[in-house]
Order: sequence, then structure tokens, then C-alpha cells
Amino acid sequence: MRAGRNFLFYLRFHRDCSERLLARAGQVEPADLETSIEREHIRMRKMADEVMGEVHRMKAFVRLTPLGPFVLHGFLKPRHRIGEHICEHFARRNAGIIVVLGNGRESWICLYREGRIWRERGNGLDESLKQLKTALQSDIGRQNEIGRDDLDVDSLWQTYYDSQNSPERDNPAAFHRHMPRKDQEAAGLRLVNKQKNASLKDFLGRD
Amino acid sequence: MVSLEKISRLAMECRFDSLGRGGSEDASGLMPGSESAHYASGKMEIGSCGPKSSAAGGTRAWVDGKKLAVLGEGTRHDVCASTFSPRSSPLPGICHAFTQDGRCVSLFKTLYTNLCSHQCSYCSNSAGCMSKRQAFSYTPEELARITLSLYRGNYIEGLFLSSGVGRDEGKITEKMIDTIRRLRQKHSFSGYIHLKILPGSSRSHIQEAMMLADRVSINLEAASASHLSEICSTKSYESDIIQRQRYIQRLMTELRSEEGQAVLPAGQTTQMVVGAGGESDEEIFQRMIFEYDEINVKRTYYSAFSPQQGTLLEDRPAEALWRERRLYQMDWLYRVYRFRPSEIRYAFDESGFLPNSDPKMAIAREFLDLPLDPNRASYQQLLRVPGIGPKSARRIMARRKRQPILSRRELAILGVRIRKASPFLKINGWTEATLERWQA
Repeated sequence: MRAGRNFLFYLRFHRDCSERLLARAGQVEPADLETSIEREHIRMRKMADEVMGEVHRMKAFVRLTPLGPFVLHGFLKPRHRIGEHICEHFARRNAGIIVVLGNGRESWICLYREGRIWRERGNGLDESLKQLKTALQSDIGRQNEIGRDDLDVDSLWQTYYDSQNSPERDNPAAFHRHMPRKDQEAAGLRLVNKQKNASLKDFLGRD
Repeated sequence: MVSLEKISRLAMECRFDSLGRGGSEDASGLMPGSESAHYASGKMEIGSCGPKSSAAGGTRAWVDGKKLAVLGEGTRHDVCASTFSPRSSPLPGICHAFTQDGRCVSLFKTLYTNLCSHQCSYCSNSAGCMSKRQAFSYTPEELARITLSLYRGNYIEGLFLSSGVGRDEGKITEKMIDTIRRLRQKHSFSGYIHLKILPGSSRSHIQEAMMLADRVSINLEAASASHLSEICSTKSYESDIIQRQRYIQRLMTELRSEEGQAVLPAGQTTQMVVGAGGESDEEIFQRMIFEYDEINVKRTYYSAFSPQQGTLLEDRPAEALWRERRLYQMDWLYRVYRFRPSEIRYAFDESGFLPNSDPKMAIAREFLDLPLDPNRASYQQLLRVPGIGPKSARRIMARRKRQPILSRRELAILGVRIRKASPFLKINGWTEATLERWQA
């Protein structure tokens, strides 16, 4: 997967991307960068591709849990500076609902309403949820406790996921290639590879 | 940036919602004791999220875990997992999880019911399957709610709805259409929907389904009528399957959505069970060409036969998975690389089967007599070199406009799999005609 024409968009999110690098990257035509063999251009391309890969996997792996009628929240601890971008993606997907993503240290809050995005940053997922709970007053507390729906939908999902397994096609190496442990952890995913069924083969196939 | 208080106020004032709109009005059908839900064991609760559902105090629905598992398991041999639809802003295929065999799980893939009157000798849902213990069915609202819950939690991109035909395919099709209508119209569901058309479905049902779904498909199961009759005595290849595919094809040109756009943005697809009917790969290839050229399907999928307990073919050995892989490679050569059928035929052996080796390599050995210069070869010629795909071929074309390509390293940076490609290339005047070119 290559960032292609959008490489500047992704490059700016890279954790090691400086203003100087971004300025130099801005002087290169995306089409030229795509086929360049210069060392710096290869590095820029690699950085943009890394970010694009993480964006793609976080959009796929982050799970959202409802907190009352107005809030969806999920764990996200990305390696690159993509928190706000991912949060916006989920806000657009769930118009009219506040989406909160984050971890112990930072959080992102987005709401998409009437074609407009509203954004805010916080100092951690728990803290942002507490603040939202206060701001929304009794509307959350009356009917949902945090995490309650999560258990239900998660077990619904786990039952369905297990039903899709074809033991005759078992290929743990492919599984670990597509779902790297680091990305599962960044999205706070409970490992879908069930530990109780793990065999020596599973451990050998791991990254 | 705005304050959390302001965001909270905006959310509470919000009167539109992509999910759960009006969802609380008809939840009674899901509660214990409703018409056809099963509540034997393993109940799970699903809730809803959104301004309107909260106004009614929220909704709770019970789902039988066993039903969810059995109806999910009934679709695990359906391999289409594509979610790409130009209807909404297209995303590159998002896979929300992968199974232990490395296959993408992007859709909630389920049967509406596992009750079926067809007698397919390979299928665990067929009427003749001895190991089938219990028949399960969803209700349209129940299935819509599960889909919404999973979609809202970002577990899936949408719904893939298939089914046994029950006692009457018309009635089951109506229920399936009712499910997706509820999703689209009542719950404003904007996710992806792939609906299986049941063999023998009426034209009006197909039309209705096409107005709501992103993609529909009807499984061929076998490469010809005679092969289908080997594995299923109750379906007519021409009238139940091919005729329905033609309905879909014609309706795609005739129908327009309310906004005047073409319906069924992700088109129609089909699937074959490889190895159950005893057909050769060349026969599958002929059928594949017919499907792409005459029916205009977007994709043909192949699923290697694996024996299911209690079925008539229970004792037949499973088809090798590599056969399925080679068929996909052949399909790719025709559909994406635009190889001519006369070229692809060289990949088959005398009995019409693909050997367990890369078909592109076999074709290259037959047609690429002289090594190609990447600085002069046309796009089509580059595509015929093993290790060069459409993307790397385009990059080579773009690169050489500015500067000639002089080394293997440059090609590798452009995405060429150099070990496979170099025996067929002349790079900077040098050819590496090694044994690799002639080995499998």
C-alpha cells in the first residue's frame, strides 16, 4: 500500500516528521516522488506509507462502545499523530453522536453535525468521558453504565467471529501478518486469537 | 477547538442520526416471546445509541448465541468479503478482523434461515444433510438490530445476507428484503449490503433487492448444467441461476434510484464450488469468461470443496487449497492484467488442470522468447513479465520518461519482484538468463 498522491497528507502525521522535512517534501511533485530512487525521497515515501498503513488499520480495528445515547468511545494509542484524523472518521460515520477516542494520556473528541466537524482535545480518555458525563448531565447516567453495552456487543461479535473459522484452512502466519500484535494493541483490541486454543504453531507464527 | 460543553449541547440538540433513527418504535418483536426468535440458551443483549432511541428509554433485544453461531457458520464458505461501493465515499477494503486462516472479516455474513428444501450434496444446510440438528431463523428486525449494533461498534462495514430457501424461496426473499429495507429506510443505515439472490427468485423481488443493496450475487456452484446436476438435483442451471443473472444484468441498465443514479453500485458477483462437481480448471475458465463477458459480473469467486459432516459428499476428500489459489491467479490474469484467453490456455496441462505453479510464469515461458528492455517495452509487454504487476509497470513507464532504468535496484524500488522478473529482462544491456527462468 503506497500513499501516492496523498503522501503529504500522511507524511505530516508521522511521529518523526519535522517542519523542515515537510517543507522539502512540499517541493517534490507527488508523481515524481512515487518513482524517485533518491534516498531522501524513499525515506519520505516510507514514512507516508507507514502512517497510511496505521490509519487504515486503526479505522478497521478500533472498537466503539456507547456511553448513553450521545457518546461513542474507544481506545486508541497510535504510534503516529493520527488520533484526530481517526476520530473525525468515526464522527462522520456516526453523525450526531460525539466520538471520543484516546488512552491514558491523550484523547480526541469529535462531533459531526450538519456537514460540520466540531473538535476538542483532552488529557486522557477517562478524564474526557468524565467531563462529558458531567456536561451531558443525567442523560447518560440514567440508562447506561460505562462498559455495559461493550460486554454485550463484544460477546455477540466473538460468537459470530468464532463461527467464521474454518479449521481446515488454518493459517496462523497469515493471521498474524494481517493483524500485527502492535496494531491490535494500539487499537485496544482484545486479541481475537483465542489464547485457550493456542498451540505451539501459533507462537511460532507470531511476529 | 470548542469546549466539551458546547459539543455536548450540539449533540443533545441533534435531531438527525445515521443510526438508530426511530429504532425504538418496533423493538417488541425482539423481546422474549416474540414470533420466531429462539431463546434456548446463551442469550446476549444488544442496545441502541442515538437521540431518538434514548427518548423512549432505550431498547434492549435478546439474541440467541446458538442461532447467531449456526447461521453465521452457514456462510463461512461464501468467500466474497469486498465492501467497496462507489455509493458513498469509497474506502479501500477495510477488514475489521481476520479469521485464523487469514481471511478478511469485513461484513456480518449470515444466513437468514438455515432451513432449505434444496438437496445440494456438498452443503451442510441442505435438506438431505443428516447432521443438521435444528433450524433457526431471524426476524427482519432482529437481524437489522444485530447489524446496527455491530456496525455502530465498528466491528463490520455492513451486512452479507444469504439464506436457505426454506419451503418457499419467495417468502424467504421477502423476509430478506424486509430486513434490508428496515436497515436502509427505518434505521437510515448507510453501510454496505450484499444480498444473495436465491435460485428461482422472481424478477420483481430481484428488482426490489437491487434498489436497496450495494451488491447482489447468485451462486453458480458449478461450471455447467451437467456438473451442477452431479451435486444438486433440485436446481435448474439455466432457469434458476443463469436466467436470474440475466435479470440482474438487464435491470442494472434499466433501473435508476430516486436521485437518478444507477442502482447496485458494486454490481453482481458469483461463486463456484471447486472440486465438488468434478469439473476441470479449463471448464471453470470457460465459465469464468462467459460470466465476465456475457453477464458482466464484477467478480467470480472460487471456494475449494471441503466435505461437511452428514452430507452426501462427506467421504470425498477435500479439494487442495492451492487449486483455489491458482484459479484466482488465472482469474486475475484475465480480469486485471487483460491476458487473452488464447494466452491463458497455455497455463493448463493436457487434462485441462492448472499445475501447482504460478500460471503467469508458465505463460511467460511460452511467449517471452527474448528478454525485454524495461526502457522500451510497452505497458502490456511489461505486464507479461512475472514479478511485474499493473502498479510497478505504471511506475516503470513514468520513471523512464525522465531517466532510463539502469539497475535491478531501481526496479526493486519501483516495486518489481526482481528475483522473478530478472530472467525475463535485459537491464542496461545485461540479461540474466539463469535456470530460474526454466524452473517452476
